Amino acid sequence: MLAVLSVEICKLNRSLALLLAGAAPALIAIFAFAMMMRSQRPSEWSMWIGSGTAIWAYFMMPMCVTALTALVAHMEHAPRSWDHLRALSVPRWTLYASKAVCVIGLVLIMSAAMLAMTIGAVVLGGLIKPETAAAGRLDLAGHAWTLAKVAAAAILMIAIQFWTAIRFASFVPGLVLGIGGAFFAVVATSAKQGVFMPWQMPVNILATEAWRVQTALTLGGGLGLVVLAAAVIHLARREG
Amino acid sequence: MAAIETEGLTRVFGRRRVVDGVSMSAPDRAVYGFLGRNGAGKSTTMKMLIGLLRPTSGVARICGVDVTRDRMRAARRIGALLEAHGFYGHLTGRENLDLSRRLLGLPATEIDRVLAVVDMLRDGGRRVSDYSLGMRQRLGIARAMLGSPPVLLLDEPTNGLDPDGIADMRRFLRELPDRAGATVLLSSHLLGEIEQTASHVGIIHEGRLVVEGELSRLKADLAPEIGLRVDDPDRARAVLRTRDLTLSKDAEGLVARLRPGDDHDQVSAALNRDLIAAGVSVFAIGPRARSLESIYRAASTPIPSRHPETV
Repeated sequence: MLAVLSVEICKLNRSLALLLAGAAPALIAIFAFAMMMRSQRPSEWSMWIGSGTAIWAYFMMPMCVTALTALVAHMEHAPRSWDHLRALSVPRWTLYASKAVCVIGLVLIMSAAMLAMTIGAVVLGGLIKPETAAAGRLDLAGHAWTLAKVAAAAILMIAIQFWTAIRFASFVPGLVLGIGGAFFAVVATSAKQGVFMPWQMPVNILATEAWRVQTALTLGGGLGLVVLAAAVIHLARREG
Repeated sequence: MAAIETEGLTRVFGRRRVVDGVSMSAPDRAVYGFLGRNGAGKSTTMKMLIGLLRPTSGVARICGVDVTRDRMRAARRIGALLEAHGFYGHLTGRENLDLSRRLLGLPATEIDRVLAVVDMLRDGGRRVSDYSLGMRQRLGIARAMLGSPPVLLLDEPTNGLDPDGIADMRRFLRELPDRAGATVLLSSHLLGEIEQTASHVGIIHEGRLVVEGELSRLKADLAPEIGLRVDDPDRARAVLRTRDLTLSKDAEGLVARLRPGDDHDQVSAALNRDLIAAGVSVFAIGPRARSLESIYRAASTPIPSRHPETV
């Protein structure tokens, strides 16, 4: 499994997926920097990082997962390399499992990058415009923990997007699903039932009601792992 | 033990029997030409040989290992160049090979070894997106040879190559059993390609293996044929009715198929005499070369028209 995983990581070298992994968190950091330049008075660290986390969980992460799963799947769909991979003397489930691990790993790296880049943008903004420099204490561990929970709650969404992207050679089903999911997550933010929708689970980690956080974590993380396992088994067993 | 062997291999898609009871056998170190028109069932058979498709019934064995029962062990004995190469264009040839090498758990020295076999040591550092089709085909063969599997399966290896590339590839394929010490199964719909490279041949038609054997023996077993060009084919037919031969017509004229053992020269002289005596002008008469095309035509002609006019 480790060999297959290392091969998946090597494939990311010079790939569009890696470019996306760097670009998406940078956009949130650039937005934070622009907001600082517009601001007239200082804000708390928690406000800057909290805003970034909210944008990430609410919209950017669902869209990134859609694009990331499509790009990772198309690394094999585009050159039609599945036949070559599936004909090798390698357990087929490891091919899919390592890809899924790679996607989750990239989402975690993007979350960490978003945190690091936003901190960097706020520090840079404070240096350029000292009157808006962030106030208060930066609770790095606390913010990192929140982002880890957001990523955990996103596993169900990742599993569904991953399954669709690998199952269909065309970009379209995965993109329609991802755009549709993100759309309903945005327009139905205040709906109570939203917590049961995979694309809204990450943002529900930031909710004030404890039951929403628990539900998002349990369903998003727990059910997500079950769905991911089902996806790997199904993809490995099917022909072609 | 045959390097590649199938028994009653069958695959049904819906109501369509794409491969129908194929029993084939490729001896060790042979270049086995697997011939058939597009859609005849070649690719489906090959996919079953490498475990990508499960047979509806029947068995496929690679070096004695049942592909369906023990796919992993069979896969270690076979390397494949598939129609779709599956290379990552953003990586170099060497990096592409390295991915497969790592998946197979082979030493790093394997990359140089297989690149040397396909004469691509100097091009290994270039991105695959910059390769010509011929270079991609050779890189695909190099990848199939990783780990020195005793069986190589090459699906249409000259597809899309220019004439020089085809000539190079044919030369390379002929030498492959000696270079790689492997049995090569080569699929193609091009008669000339198989005729010039294969030692053994199997012809698949509408899902069935209709001919199989050593190419030289199959050619030798062909009934001798004499080609005739005359001014009046109908009169010629009437004249030759008394002769013990089978007469048919093709684009080049009349074809007289003799009985096995008949001597070309003596029969040609006799036919010529008879036709001249009957007032039929003979423009050309002579033996037809025994070719793979003759074997293929005989094997793949639809059943109703397989019975030519007999005189």
